[in-house]
Amino acid sequence: MKTLPLVVFALAVLAQWLVPLAAIRQHEKVLVEGQLVRLKCTAPDPYDPLRGRYLAVRPEATEADVDKELKSYRGPGYAMLAIGADGLASVTRLERQRPAEGLFVRVRVRYAHEGKARFDWPFDRYYLNETLAPEADRWLADSLRSTKAVLAEVRVLDGRAVLEDLSLDGKSFREHLKQRLKTAKDP
Amino acid sequence: MSASRQRWLLEQIPDWEREGWLTAEGGVRLRERYALAASGPGLGQIMLGALGALLVGSGLIAIIGHNWDDFSRPVRLLFAFLPLLAAQMFSWQALRGGAAAWVRETAALLQALTAGACLALVSQIYHLGGDWPDFLRAWFLLSLPLAWVLRSEAVTLFYLMATAIWAVDQYDSGLAWQNSPVIYPLLLIGLLPRWWRQPPPGAVLRWFMALNAGLGLGAAVSFAAKLGSLSFSKFNAVLLLWSVLAACFVLLPLNARGMAESTRRKPQVVLGGLWLFGYGLAATFADVGEDLLKGADSALRLPAGWLLLVVLAVFVALAVRQRRWAVLAIASVVVLPLLVHAVFPSSSHGGLLAGLFTFHLAGVGLTLILLDFAGRPAAPRLGAAVLSALVLARMADSDLSLLAKGIVFIIVGVAFLAFNFFMSRRRREVAR
Repeated sequence: MKTLPLVVFALAVLAQWLVPLAAIRQHEKVLVEGQLVRLKCTAPDPYDPLRGRYLAVRPEATEADVDKELKSYRGPGYAMLAIGADGLASVTRLERQRPAEGLFVRVRVRYAHEGKARFDWPFDRYYLNETLAPEADRWLADSLRSTKAVLAEVRVLDGRAVLEDLSLDGKSFREHLKQRLKTAKDP
Repeated sequence: MSASRQRWLLEQIPDWEREGWLTAEGGVRLRERYALAASGPGLGQIMLGALGALLVGSGLIAIIGHNWDDFSRPVRLLFAFLPLLAAQMFSWQALRGGAAAWVRETAALLQALTAGACLALVSQIYHLGGDWPDFLRAWFLLSLPLAWVLRSEAVTLFYLMATAIWAVDQYDSGLAWQNSPVIYPLLLIGLLPRWWRQPPPGAVLRWFMALNAGLGLGAAVSFAAKLGSLSFSKFNAVLLLWSVLAACFVLLPLNARGMAESTRRKPQVVLGGLWLFGYGLAATFADVGEDLLKGADSALRLPAGWLLLVVLAVFVALAVRQRRWAVLAIASVVVLPLLVHAVFPSSSHGGLLAGLFTFHLAGVGLTLILLDFAGRPAAPRLGAAVLSALVLARMADSDLSLLAKGIVFIIVGVAFLAFNFFMSRRRREVAR
């Protein structure tokens, strides 16, 4: 057996481990060391053929002030966050360059025009067990009709954001789901 | 050569040797040349192996899709890596033990699928965003070495399809060049080690390659036009660039063995030629000719346009050196708008361009027929089809009565059928 194919194969195997492991390390670090940020959001319930059911998470804030000189810009940007008195985070401004300090998340700027920019958050879905998904769907619809806000709990570190949980009224949405399922079984 | 034809050839060798048509030495060389392929597996065996791997891999993805909420994160991550590890060990055994082709095929496909499933599960566990092109890119890049070392046709097909889909999807302004379809040619070149010191790809794979490469390179050209501040609204320029690309396809350099192969095994010539004839026929209409001249003006302002023309010039020089007159005649269709634009920069000469296209296409059609009579590689039926289509296009554009048009259509149809009949008879006589 020639050596070169074995070496190439070994490198391929190594890469197939390193790529997911690097993603795991990066996201674990954010989950452990990142600051918790709560964003008010809205969400329907779609499906991903490869990864199953998920709740599409859409924070309300999708537009922010930006430098007026940034015209028709599309590409990476940084959303500067501020935590309000109610504990909810809001986007104060968008920067094109990575800020040296402060609480910020790397986002994708869709369009910048006359001092305003629309952007996409780096998270847009929360994956669910397929048996929980239909109930989660109903819970979300009910919650969005109520006056209380559904919050995305996100860990933020060095511009990276990892979605940790969804909550309503201070409780994780999983607890709400368990309660609903219990009530449905035992009315 | 397909496995069935190789088998047939090997069966004939003893008879040919007995009858003195083939020397003993020639027989040995032929047996050596086709021995490996003849002992290889059948297409059915490879397909069944690939299907098995596909089912196992799809099953894993579906299980992952269930999302095992009750388990902790580390346990779920273990689910992602264990199938990958098993598939890697299987591939390692197949590689080291010199396994049969169908086993290599199964191992490679299974490993590619488990690598994709592993990436999908990690992104599911951490609720990563929905940028599926990024996921697809990571997946096909991690799978590519399996096509090289395990010589897998299924992984090659997956890579070709995935890269083309990725390139077409990345047609979006605002993307950095390294995330754009501009890198598609590099992705395509990345597949070449698959055939290093190996037999060239079979006919089916060639067609698949040509179709996907056409899509991917078309996306790359469109994106390059956009980088040059050319909006898609100037579609005529993009159309011209695509046609230059089609001409490059037709003239793709081949070695002597490649040139001797039948047209069926040269999908780049067939697809590129069909595009160019469609383009040429459309250009025989005056308003289209005008648009093409405007397109030539915009395309020649782009660095990508000039780059494509340089590639075309190199391919033309090589084709002239190899005396590939038939493909040169087909590719020449694309040059006309550029020449007319060089002489008359104004776009008001659309009528002139349309007239020149009519004569040029007629010339190309005749050349393709006459080359056959001169005993050179040609495509007489394609030539006749071009001439017929040209007559029909001119008739459709004329002010003649329906009766006159109908008669001309019938005459052209009968002439085409008669020519087809004549060519079939001629082929049989030449074969005798």
